[in-house]
This record gives sequence, structure tokens and C-alpha cells, in this order.
Amino acid sequence: MSDQKKPSKLRRSLFTIFFMFAVTFVFIAVLSLIYVLTQDTIRLNESLVVKRSVLYVAGLEVPQTGIEADASYQERVEEVKNEDGEVLYYEILDPAGEQLQSYVVPVLGAGLWGEIESVVGVEKDLKTLTGIEFIKQNETPGLGGRITESWFKEQFRGKRWPLSVVPEGDPAGDQEFQAITGATNTTIAVRSILNERLARAEEVIQVSEQERQ
Amino acid sequence: MNSYKFRQVIKENVGINNPVFVQILGICSTLAVTNVLKNTVVMCAGLVFVTGLSNLTVSLLRKYIPGRIRMMVETLIIAAYVIIVDVVLKAFIPDISRQLGPYVGLIITNCIIMGRAEAFALSNPPALSLVDGLSSGLGYTYVLLIIAFLRELLGTGSIWGFRVLGDWWTNWNIMIMAPGAFFMLALFIWVVKGNFMKEKQGAAAAGASRAGSAGAPQTASAGGKS
Repeated sequence: MSDQKKPSKLRRSLFTIFFMFAVTFVFIAVLSLIYVLTQDTIRLNESLVVKRSVLYVAGLEVPQTGIEADASYQERVEEVKNEDGEVLYYEILDPAGEQLQSYVVPVLGAGLWGEIESVVGVEKDLKTLTGIEFIKQNETPGLGGRITESWFKEQFRGKRWPLSVVPEGDPAGDQEFQAITGATNTTIAVRSILNERLARAEEVIQVSEQERQ
Repeated sequence: MNSYKFRQVIKENVGINNPVFVQILGICSTLAVTNVLKNTVVMCAGLVFVTGLSNLTVSLLRKYIPGRIRMMVETLIIAAYVIIVDVVLKAFIPDISRQLGPYVGLIITNCIIMGRAEAFALSNPPALSLVDGLSSGLGYTYVLLIIAFLRELLGTGSIWGFRVLGDWWTNWNIMIMAPGAFFMLALFIWVVKGNFMKEKQGAAAAGASRAGSAGAPQTASAGGKS
């Protein structure tokens, strides 16, 4: 601090910088190692989440183990991609693995707090839903977060879009689904995302079918 | 002498100087993750791991960390452990990791961790610091578990996702939202302070100042309240 201690002050400053550098280096090295060791598992987990969801919304059986789920995905699902390698939609094949049975489309849009990412299964008519699964959502836990509950997802099977909403617990018609009490905004978001995105998906699928013929 | 110190540290953190209901630290996560019991358990396990190990690491390095950058170093250490927790959850229990979403990353903002590193680990030996970190985590955990239990029960009529109350039960939606946590936490503090800490008021204050040499809990506010 005083003038005659200047060299030691400089040395202390250098030590401070060196120390921060060394500590950062060590921790980053350790974290990188852990990251490299686990990234395959994480990537596998993430792709399995999508594969399981596709099987689920197509109304197919979802096997317990990852390997089996992967195998039945390979067997029954055909990914249709655009030039950039993004999946536009999935084609679900019949049990023999030849004839087209139905489609699954990725559906995403704005929820109440963040993006809602889901996959939706539709019949060949592109109007009738075979199921829905939410892959990512940040809705209020316990309220909007209940969209991931099975009763909410299961009610979409066999419904036809455009959809509208009835209160939770009320009987819902062919083009209606039950809202979640206390989560009006999330329910409305789900409704408009579905209606909007399924209309777009219908066009995309028709165009790409025509191109292939 | 030594085992006395350990016992003292545990008693302080779990009881008379509990981070949640005495020091009122870590309140944001107390409000955020206590609406469903399962998430609370994973969150608390993560927090115990991070407080314990970050305290240990800071204590091991305490003689070398230059005073001016000690907070940077502490933050770095805490962040590293939080990332480890996040990566491990993603790799091995992806379902719960998906449910917790951003909350795991937010462990880093829990000021109990920073508070213990700053107030205790910087001036105490490693083993004692580890115990201090773990017991602070436990003191936080049991309070959160009680609050989460009550909130999930009243808010959704279920425990651990299983319905325990019959159809006659009307869910209290407010319990699931953040205000419900405020009410629950306030009630909890009221009950605890009213029934268990009455005559200990003086003792707690004395304990706090006495602990000054062993790392004063009241300086935990140096970590900032969040």
C-alpha cells in the first residue's frame, strides 16, 4: 500500500490475475470433461424424447426401454425433411412398414411464459387428430403446466380441427376440447397454436406430396 | 472440542439460525419450486450438493484466494457445481430435468450458497465448512419440503402426484401460484417462531454474535438477499 512496497503490490496484482486465470482454467477443464463424457447420453435422451412422443401421438405402443422405442421408431416412422435437414413432418407407416397410415407434425408457438413445443398426429385426411404430446413448455407449474397431464392430452384423440374450447369437466364435442381451470391463457394459446399450425402443416404436406408424385 | 463445534454448526443451521425462516435467505426458490413435492426434492438435493461442495472448495482455497477477487472465485466455483448438477440430471434423470426446466440453473442465485461461502467457508477449515454447507442445505430442505407438502396437498389434492384427497376437495389454485407460497411461508415462520423459538430469542441473538469468530451468520447478508 505504501510507496516502498510497490514491487510486492505489483506482484500481488499479477498473482491475483494469475489465480483467477488458473482457477477458471481448472474449472472449465473439469466441466468440459464432464460435458464430453455425458453429451452422447444427453443427445440420446433428447432424441428419444422426440421419438417416444412421435410414437405416442400416432397412437402406437410406446416401448419402455430406449432401445425398443428406437427400434419401433425406425420401423414405423419416416422423417420428411427440407433442404436444411429440418424435419417438416413425420410419416407413420402401417405395421408392415410400407403403406402410409397417418402423419405427425411438429407444432410450436408462443405459450403464456415461453415457447410451447409439441408434436401432433393427424390422420390421412389431415383434419382428424390422433394425439398430442408436449415436448417443451414453461407454463405455470400446476396450472398451465397441467397440459402435460394425460387426461388433457388424451382428449385430443379423434378430435377435428379447427378446435374451440369448453370449460373443464364439460362434455366436449367433435371439434372442442376441455380447458384447464385457472389456466385460460395457456388453453387459448394451445388452441390458437393448434389451429394455426395444423392449417399450415396441411399445406406443407399437400405440397410435398404433390412434388413427390 | 471438535465434535462440539460440528454439532454447534449443525444446530445453528438447522434450527436457531435456519437460512430460510431465521435468515430469510433463498426465498426466491422457496417460492418458486415448492408447488410440487417431486420438483422440490430434486431441487433440494441439488442445493445440498452445491452448498456442501462449494463450501468445501472455497475453504480448501481460502488461504490462496486474493481478497479482492474472492467473490468472483466463489461465483465461479458455485457456477461450476450448478452446471455439474444440471448436466448430471439431464443425462441420468431427463424426465425430472425437463420438469424442473430453468430452476436448476437458478440454484446459482440462491444466496444461501454464496452466503455460507462468504461468511463461513472463507474463515473455517474444510471439514467444518463441508458440514456447514450440508447442514445449511438440510435446514433449507426440510422447510421447503414442509411447505411443498402443504402446497401440493391444498393446491392439487395430491401428494407426489398421487391423488390423496377425494373428489369432494376443491383445489386451492392460489396455493400453486407464487402468492400461495408467500402465505405458506409466512404461516410457517409464524408457527415456528411462536411455538418453538419464543424463549430462545435471546439465545439466538447471543449465538449469532458468539458465532462471529466461527463465521458470523449475520454477515451472510454480504451475499445479498435473493
